[in-house]
Amino acid sequence: MAKPVFWQAAWAVAYKDLQIELRTRYALNAMALFAVTTAVMVSFRLGPLGLSRDPRSAATLAVLLWIAIFFAAMNGLSRTFVREEEAHTATLLRLNVPALAVYLGKLGVNLLILALLETLVTLLFIGLLNVTIANVGLFLVTLSLGGLALAGATTILATLVAKADGKGSLFTILAFPLVLPLLIIAVETTELALSGGTWAAAGSGLQLLAAYTIAEHVAALWLFERVWEA
Amino acid sequence: MNRTDAALQLSWQALAKTYSTRPVYDQLAGELHRGEVLAVRGPNGAGKSTFLRLLCGLERPTAGTIAYQWQGQTYNPNTMRPWIGFVGPDVALYRELSALEHLQFLAKARGLAADQAYWRELLAQVGLAGREHERVAHFSSGMALRLKYAIALLAKPPILLLDEPTAMFDEHGRQLVAQLVEQQRQHGLTVLATNDERDAAWADLVLTVGAAARG
Amino acid sequence: MLATTFKWFTGIWLGLVAVAMFLWVPAHEGLGNVGRIVIMHVPTGWLTSVAFLFSAIYSWRYLRHGRARDDALALAAAELGLIFSVLATVTGAIFAKVVWGTYWNWDPRETAIAALMLIYAAYFALRTSIEDRQRQRYLGSIYALLAFVAVPFLIFVIPRVTDDTLHPNCAILNTPNCQGIELTENGRIIGTVEDFKVELLGIEQQADLTVATVSIVSNGTNYTLKPSFNRASNKPETIERLPETLRDVQIKRLVGEPGNQTVEIAIANTGNIGLLTEQRTLLTFFASLFGFTLLFFWLWWLRADVLDINEQLVQQGITI
Repeated sequence: MAKPVFWQAAWAVAYKDLQIELRTRYALNAMALFAVTTAVMVSFRLGPLGLSRDPRSAATLAVLLWIAIFFAAMNGLSRTFVREEEAHTATLLRLNVPALAVYLGKLGVNLLILALLETLVTLLFIGLLNVTIANVGLFLVTLSLGGLALAGATTILATLVAKADGKGSLFTILAFPLVLPLLIIAVETTELALSGGTWAAAGSGLQLLAAYTIAEHVAALWLFERVWEA
Repeated sequence: MNRTDAALQLSWQALAKTYSTRPVYDQLAGELHRGEVLAVRGPNGAGKSTFLRLLCGLERPTAGTIAYQWQGQTYNPNTMRPWIGFVGPDVALYRELSALEHLQFLAKARGLAADQAYWRELLAQVGLAGREHERVAHFSSGMALRLKYAIALLAKPPILLLDEPTAMFDEHGRQLVAQLVEQQRQHGLTVLATNDERDAAWADLVLTVGAAARG
Repeated sequence: MLATTFKWFTGIWLGLVAVAMFLWVPAHEGLGNVGRIVIMHVPTGWLTSVAFLFSAIYSWRYLRHGRARDDALALAAAELGLIFSVLATVTGAIFAKVVWGTYWNWDPRETAIAALMLIYAAYFALRTSIEDRQRQRYLGSIYALLAFVAVPFLIFVIPRVTDDTLHPNCAILNTPNCQGIELTENGRIIGTVEDFKVELLGIEQQADLTVATVSIVSNGTNYTLKPSFNRASNKPETIERLPETLRDVQIKRLVGEPGNQTVEIAIANTGNIGLLTEQRTLLTFFASLFGFTLLFFWLWWLRADVLDINEQLVQQGITI
């Protein structure tokens, strides 16, 4: 099939998923609720006064931020594929849309959902925990790159989990060891950004994160059709 | 209609399918050409639906090959998909989308022109006129099946695979399918999987599966 | 015949290794009897990684050719990987408790093996959650490959978590940086000796003595020590003990004029003998490495055969 048609198909899948998500709000609600719950729980004890006195607060906040993002993402990112398998609509997609277009469409939706989630979590942390971000640019780059890496590693896992029978907790179990490198660097770089570290200090971490992102995306593109047609 | 366009053939050879322990069938062979209608028959669990799923690559055969000749080229079930229309209980619809939104999505996904008038005409043809904007969640099973026909016909495919084509239909619906099958003779071939004598009467050829596995 | 010979050979070999490990190998001068554990610990740790590699290779082969035998080999390798990772972790934890006082410390290598164990666990969780055997193999292989892409990054990432390792590299093999390091007042002030990070904070002159202030990270804690050197006798004067270890810190050598002096800081492991620099230990260690590798391959093929037979029985409708 010609190239423009392929991208059009990917866009059609993404558009359809957004339409459905806006009508059911299943993934968005689950993720938003998780993010809010986490932020509120953290702020009870580690609110503005409790944490700001602690010299290690940047590290603690960076870890908490990524815990909120990771587990909230685990709640919602598998939805797009699990829904297709559970409602048996995956067959319709398989018959009508090229596999790679399905993948790119779903990846796009997951990226958008993650961007919304990261924005929400950041705003909650700023609002409830009085977080100040010393190096805003670095913070934004870390979140964007981290989100891109997270989506790259987990979108294909979502396909895999949708094909397995025990869908509930399996996604997190499968995803955690794979995204461990990403989480470690993301926490480190976020800590730097919060405490006013320089770009030079974050450089090698960001490079590693970019390399990881590329590797995961390439592997996912290469393996997706096999999972999808399994 | 030119000669190469007329060349449409579906053939399967030495076809076998085994589900982990249970052989469904073995050594099936045959072929089908433009204008022909094949009915796949057999008892429950004999693999009628499986045969259709093999024809469009939703499942892989344990052994054997399936090939399509179309416009002078050879395709396998997976690469043939853009020219296959499939109707069956396996294909579910999106409860959250309306009938028209389904056609809109699938037309875009298949790279077809956005043609509102054609979509409405198609929906009217399957008896869904006036229900275009209703969500599938509110559809009866018969109406959902009608929408599946509209989806299958969207790209005017040369291959039509119909699994239990009239299972949800009243007499009126049955006539609609009879009409569609007759239409399909003009530009392609049809494979039906059915247990209903009346459906099987539309076919020129019958393939009975399941007898071997039972013995 | 060949298989039987192989089996007996492996068994006797490992038996001899076990005997040698306790009776023939002398106790380590620094680490004591617990030093013997390295003879089991290192081979099992190494085979954990080997198993992971084989599991990925055979998963890839399965995806390419679709042969059930390849998947059986991938699954068997993963199972052995899990067993060996448990062995390596347990032996390592015993060693760590005796030598450093904690079972677990998130040392880089501990983190790496924990990640591998999580991957193996996830792999089995995925496989058991799928009923259809074909799909089980297929999706299992894909997960193994995805994990294989992610794991190399851990090698680069984990040292970032903590910059010191407790793993006694120098207790195993005595390499040049196990002896000491040269630090200069206005030049290189930071480095590693053995597995400790050493930083030169300053040098003072007191009559004939040159006193260096060094900061050493050990067991996650920062210690500031002041070893000194007698310029008159050209010998180390004050030798400082690194708390909670068997190591002595001294200035071994002094070069240059005040203001631009280079000190060689040495950390002596009382007697400073590498575990494997002792000949009998080294020999037993390599014999053990060889024996465990043989054991791995034997168990690997055996398990794959069992999986194959099991699969054939299932094909015929028999379940055990």
